[in-house]
Amino acid sequence: MTSQLHKVCRELLASGQVQVIIGYGQDHPEQPPYPLFVTDAEEVPRLVWNDRCAANLVAYLKRKEIKALGKPAIIVKGCDVRALVVLQQESQIDRSQMVVIGMACEGIGEPRLSKCVTCDVHMPQHVDVTIGEVQAEVGEAGRRYADLEAFMSQSQEERMVYWQDELERCTRCYACRQVCPLCYCERCIVDKNRPVRFSTTATLKGNYAWHITRAFHLAGRCIGCDECTRACPAGINLRLLNQSLSKAAEASFSYRAGMDPQAEPVIGAFSAEDKESFIA
Amino acid sequence: MSTIIGGQALRDLVNDWIGQGTLVAGPGYVKDDLILYCWLHRSDQLLLESYERPHNSIKEFLFPKHEKLYGYHLDGRKIELNEVPPLETPQVIFAARPCDAASLPILDHVFNWDFHDVFYNRRRNLTTVVTLACQEHDEHCFCSAVGGGPQDERGSDAMLFALGQDQYEVRCFTDKGKALFAGKLQESTRTGKAGAGPEILVDLAKVRAFINGSFESPRWAAMALRCLGCGACTYNCPTCHCFDIVDEKVGATGARVRSWDSCQLAMFTHHASGHNPRTLQSQRQRQRVAHKFETYPAKFGEILCTGCGNCTRVCPVGLGILPVLAAIEHEMAVEPGTPVGEKSLVK
Repeated sequence: MTSQLHKVCRELLASGQVQVIIGYGQDHPEQPPYPLFVTDAEEVPRLVWNDRCAANLVAYLKRKEIKALGKPAIIVKGCDVRALVVLQQESQIDRSQMVVIGMACEGIGEPRLSKCVTCDVHMPQHVDVTIGEVQAEVGEAGRRYADLEAFMSQSQEERMVYWQDELERCTRCYACRQVCPLCYCERCIVDKNRPVRFSTTATLKGNYAWHITRAFHLAGRCIGCDECTRACPAGINLRLLNQSLSKAAEASFSYRAGMDPQAEPVIGAFSAEDKESFIA
Repeated sequence: MSTIIGGQALRDLVNDWIGQGTLVAGPGYVKDDLILYCWLHRSDQLLLESYERPHNSIKEFLFPKHEKLYGYHLDGRKIELNEVPPLETPQVIFAARPCDAASLPILDHVFNWDFHDVFYNRRRNLTTVVTLACQEHDEHCFCSAVGGGPQDERGSDAMLFALGQDQYEVRCFTDKGKALFAGKLQESTRTGKAGAGPEILVDLAKVRAFINGSFESPRWAAMALRCLGCGACTYNCPTCHCFDIVDEKVGATGARVRSWDSCQLAMFTHHASGHNPRTLQSQRQRQRVAHKFETYPAKFGEILCTGCGNCTRVCPVGLGILPVLAAIEHEMAVEPGTPVGEKSLVK
């Protein structure tokens, strides 16, 4: 797979089709790969692909420093590409102005990340080039929200204690926001200070406000790459929050974000069939 | 001769302190797979041996992430100010890493420079720091490069050395340390020793030369390219100490508080006019490195880094101080005029 990846990337750069490859580099096999930006065809051999390439590189498409490098080719996994689909639906990217290289993926990490256990996009969809082939087991749709369901089987009091313990640790470093491919606001609501919308400090109250607001902003949009959870230095299980909203979108509107570029985004769509049971 | 204590006696002693109302913080599991410095309720939460380095620092026990400076109440045109009652509870930071303790004498400079910060100093005076000499290190540790080491005594009131078989040598360096262990130690002929420690060395003169001579170098941009601009490195750094001051008010009653802030966040230098002197992430990265290795040493004579490596441990994209120092050192060895590419950067 790596040699095929190198061949594709070398051709893309040498022919001038793209100016930068957004991919993964790695210094030693024991150390984790890191995001790498290759602008010179000679440097292509530095690109790697393996089951530790965790970062969702789509987050870099919003960075002005990366935009300044020119037309990109971006290396994505099946889960990552769903973020591209959402960005396209929301008119944040022009798909014709980039080349998307999808990597066949058996899963990331040892043991596999939670999202990989129920993955059904081992072969990336909606990409320009696919590299590799895998026969990995497709996650059962019924098991997709197993973590959330186990959590929700606890009493409300237990769940409240859990979230207090989790959110107490938040330092408001905003790693969750910065790694998120779909947090692209020019100025985040938490950074609006005239007037201050809600507490910007790391109190339990402020932390609740921040994480709930962020989850709501991702409702029907979060593609479940779990980068926020991976990035959190305080180990806060943000996956659970995001999953509860993804599950609601799937259960109520049969909608999964980033699966179909033609689908109307669930938040912006109206159908006469929409449930009205919440009106009571 | 040395003084030693058994592991159980040590844990009993920690429980005694907690029982007497002393606040005790140390490394513990906050959840199944996460070790952080945290307040301890019982000594069995404490991890004494074979634990990884906590991914946070001890600074939050002296410089909390959120701290009330004073309260206020508005009544028409009348403003009532309410002082925060002075802290009186002694606290012990236990089994900290030497690279955490070393940050305290470094931070003392900035909190006593043009202004004596009563909040920091009050906590500092109430705190006794007991470190545990490092037997192991990981690939992110680089204390050796910034003048530290696995048994660096800076900032420690006492230091524990694991002797094996659940025994610890205790070396008390200050009166505070002695007071903590008075009457609890046994004389012995056994002495402890720290592990080998990391061997990483960085030519800091080269780093300073690059900072001073290459402020506008395009290589800063190349080094910072993968930085996504969160504050994880700064908030988990034992020496980063920037804060913001905000009013938190509900109705007519509020408090002026200070909370951690980070030079890596775009809002940090956002002026009220709308102008931002640091518009690029590379400028923010340059600021952090320059503050640690040039500005702070020039002002206070000490490097604002203890080589703990937490910046890299918590970085979602594997950046942090050491990779940048290594890149600068490498850069200084590269012929001037070499084209900028990732080739010569971030090895």
